[in-house]
Amino acid sequence: MHNINNIRNFSIIAHIDHGKSTLADRLIELCGGVGKRDMETRILDSMDLERERGITIKARAIKLNYRASDGEDYVLNLIDTPGHVDFNYEVSRSLAACEGALLVVDAAQGIEAQTLANTYLAIDAGLEVLPVINKIDLPSADPERTVHEIEDIIGIPAEDAPRISAKNGVNVESVLEYIVENVPAPVGDADAPLKALIFDSQYDQYKGVIVYVRVLEGVLRTDDLVRMMATGAEYEIVEVGYLRPIGMEKCEELLPGEVGYFTASIKNVRDTRVGDTVTQVERPTQKALPGYRRVQPMVFSGVYPSDGAKYPDLREALEKLQLNDASLTYEAESSVALGYGFRCGFLGLLHMEVVQERLEREFNLDLITTAPSVIYKVKYTDGREEKIDNPLNFPDPTLIEYAEEPFVAANIIVPSEYTGNIMDLCQGRRGIFKDMKYIDTNRVELHYELPLNEIIYDFFDALKSRTRGYASLDYELKDYRQSDLVKLDVLLNGEEVDALSFIVHKENAYARARRITEKLKEHIPRQMFEVPIQAAIGSKIIARETVRALRKDVLAKCYGGDITRKKKLLEKQKEGKKRMRSLGSVEVPQEAFMAVLKLDE
Amino acid sequence: MNRRDRKRINKEPRAKRRVTDDRLEPLPGIYIHIPFCRKKCDYCDFYSVIPASDLQQRYTEALLTHLRETSQFVHSPVETVYIGGGTPAMLGEKNLVTLLKEVQRLYAITSSPEITVELNPESTSFKLLSSLKKAGCTRLSIGVQSAVDDELKKLGRLHTFDEAKSAVELCRKAGFDNISVDLMYGIEGQTPESFRYSLQEVINLDPEHVSCYGLKVEQGTPLWDRRETADLPDDDAQADFYETACTMLRQAGYQHYEISNFAKPGYASQHNLKYWRLEPYLGFGPGAHSDFAGRRYSIVSSLDAYIEGIENDGEVIEEMEEILPQQRAAEYVMLRLRLAEGFDPSEFLRQFMIWPDSIEDKLREYEKSGHAKVDGRWSLTEKGFLISNTIISSLLEYI
Repeated sequence: MHNINNIRNFSIIAHIDHGKSTLADRLIELCGGVGKRDMETRILDSMDLERERGITIKARAIKLNYRASDGEDYVLNLIDTPGHVDFNYEVSRSLAACEGALLVVDAAQGIEAQTLANTYLAIDAGLEVLPVINKIDLPSADPERTVHEIEDIIGIPAEDAPRISAKNGVNVESVLEYIVENVPAPVGDADAPLKALIFDSQYDQYKGVIVYVRVLEGVLRTDDLVRMMATGAEYEIVEVGYLRPIGMEKCEELLPGEVGYFTASIKNVRDTRVGDTVTQVERPTQKALPGYRRVQPMVFSGVYPSDGAKYPDLREALEKLQLNDASLTYEAESSVALGYGFRCGFLGLLHMEVVQERLEREFNLDLITTAPSVIYKVKYTDGREEKIDNPLNFPDPTLIEYAEEPFVAANIIVPSEYTGNIMDLCQGRRGIFKDMKYIDTNRVELHYELPLNEIIYDFFDALKSRTRGYASLDYELKDYRQSDLVKLDVLLNGEEVDALSFIVHKENAYARARRITEKLKEHIPRQMFEVPIQAAIGSKIIARETVRALRKDVLAKCYGGDITRKKKLLEKQKEGKKRMRSLGSVEVPQEAFMAVLKLDE
Repeated sequence: MNRRDRKRINKEPRAKRRVTDDRLEPLPGIYIHIPFCRKKCDYCDFYSVIPASDLQQRYTEALLTHLRETSQFVHSPVETVYIGGGTPAMLGEKNLVTLLKEVQRLYAITSSPEITVELNPESTSFKLLSSLKKAGCTRLSIGVQSAVDDELKKLGRLHTFDEAKSAVELCRKAGFDNISVDLMYGIEGQTPESFRYSLQEVINLDPEHVSCYGLKVEQGTPLWDRRETADLPDDDAQADFYETACTMLRQAGYQHYEISNFAKPGYASQHNLKYWRLEPYLGFGPGAHSDFAGRRYSIVSSLDAYIEGIENDGEVIEEMEEILPQQRAAEYVMLRLRLAEGFDPSEFLRQFMIWPDSIEDKLREYEKSGHAKVDGRWSLTEKGFLISNTIISSLLEYI
């Protein structure tokens, strides 16, 4: 029987490694959703890659049945949230489907930047935020300090927070009671016109797109004709159901407060955008749910197959990935250096990394990617304006009235001993210091405004290496600002290599040019002739290195007539050459293209 | 043909082929490996063991058996014999003499064969040299390596330069008029000056032939283990050494006939030329290689396995590969370009039915950059020899 008062919709907010997935597993286990053995493959994170990196990219939902100590049966809908800054919008939509959120904090490590960002998102969305102190069994755990930290920083009471060890199943039952008691029941009129929030979708090759929804008002029924209010797409519902730990469970209808899915032979996830409102065509609701935003890629990069013949494979792989990832964009482009490939747009750095890894791993492709770029706004002297996401299209300085680049507000939490390192790093990346707060005696929170362009290179790596992995970062796009930007070109043997061009602030151009030429020198083997490596702004050379001519590459001895071994060596050398890119007369190994993406070493 | 024979060469070689050209069918050479060393040098990755008890005797007998079995497939006279190692002298004078005599008895030998024995300076005596001479040895190859004792020590050699010098004099005294000396560059601590000194000292010894090899740090050698800390000359320094050697030896009247080999006119190593000219050769002993009857094969590289295989009718061939015409063509280019005589495009076409146009196009690029030259035949310059791997591997793309 549907009783809206006995539904609890909640999310779990936690930093990577603070135990979100483990806690979810325990909750599912306790609700008898699934056997312990199935738990080994964690249900919420179903992508290999996510599991390996301990992050969750796609939101999912699971319906659990729980008989509470008051003797009543409750439906608990656990809605998972992506744990990374790039998916901020998706997180906000998942949270909008809930009435409460568990804030899981590692008792040994305390609050991290990402936790904080998502907690604020939850508070802003009007959710009841319920702290849970996890990993209390660790020797370094300090639950009391963690409680104070939560109260001081976030400003919510945490004295009653369950102290648990999800890993060892300590006190986990109390979390369920805590949810039942503290997460408000949903409210919603079943007789009102249908209003349901899309918080995720996934492509299935048999059913088409599976749309995950939370019904707010009205009823979602099989055979209903529905409309997506933002995209205007209309579909006849084929199937509705609940998402259970072991799979999908069909039902007749979804009522207010319920969380589930529907299918409608939808071919493309682009038509079912996260945050969109589903309503009935016959009796539509007056107003769509607030907060819908069309997600726009912020970071762009050229993606090329190392083997030019694999171009069709890459296109097919991107098509398939896009079925499930509406935020990924791509269009064909070609490069003199790298041949045919695609200009891809990503939500952010992690999204880019994830897509590239999936292309390589799931589709078995060997890729070369070019330096990531952001969207620049250029105002020409003739008054024209243009948005540019590819360094190649960046105009000659003489044609530019001014250029603008995106800035982000960054929030970095770091053990206080590394504060100096981080400040140096941000300074070097043209960061504008805003303020600094002590979270406790050991940790500080730094606020900076940084050009996005400086973050997308290797900022994460630099951050980690300067803090022995202890820093956490969160950022959001703030605004566009005028900047003295220039295009830096790289020339090999006097010829421009289009794939290596990038846009940089004039002040940093020299340093970056020096690093990039040094890096290339390390990675380009000596050739038959001397190869100058130059970096230039327009026609002005600002850095130069030289790969000296190869002088010795010979098998001197050839004793005893062992020709076979010699032949093998030369064959190997010949094969090695095939993996090189010929740029004019210069052979460049593929690693060289990748090496310039990591300049901070 | 009994079972044992089939195992050794797998297929009876074709009957003596008819002469197709105006040239005679190339005649085979024989290589015999003596895998004994008193002590292994620090840079050497060849197979060798320190002999114990009656091993030399047993090994000699195994070699004789193997030579005897193989002889029935060889229908043309043998032009060269090369006994290398290891340290051939470690086989014992008597065994070495027997081996030399037996090879010449079992095989038809041309009227003026080249019969080489490798020697290390420390294992040279007038008595041994006289016996070798009497047994038909016509050429000696002596591992001098350096004229600087410190460098010899670093290499793990067991002799000083003075001893090497005396050894060469002794060879002369024993009546040898074809002596080759090995010299090495790229030794730990070697300097341009010390190498020039070694070269001059070697030239003063006035050998007919000089092999000048760059030291290569091979995996599994003591030198490999200490390569990080060893003061090894880098590639550029080695290139300089090589160029010095080419110049000084040329000025001293030596012809640079192969990447690493120099000879007075008429004294090029006939045996080694067989390797580079794709002529047939048969290898005996562990780790030895053969190119015979269209196949390349190698013998097991363990002494015990070899002796046991021979004694018990077992398998001693480790790998055998039939070389297809296209591979031959690749070998032709790869090996001929090691030689100053280079290769003849029309011969290449005749022999392999492959148009050499694209290879020649590529070679013309190398000609422009000063790495190759042409006068009817294509060959590499000294500069080209130095990066011959790069050049040859790029040419292989067109075969």
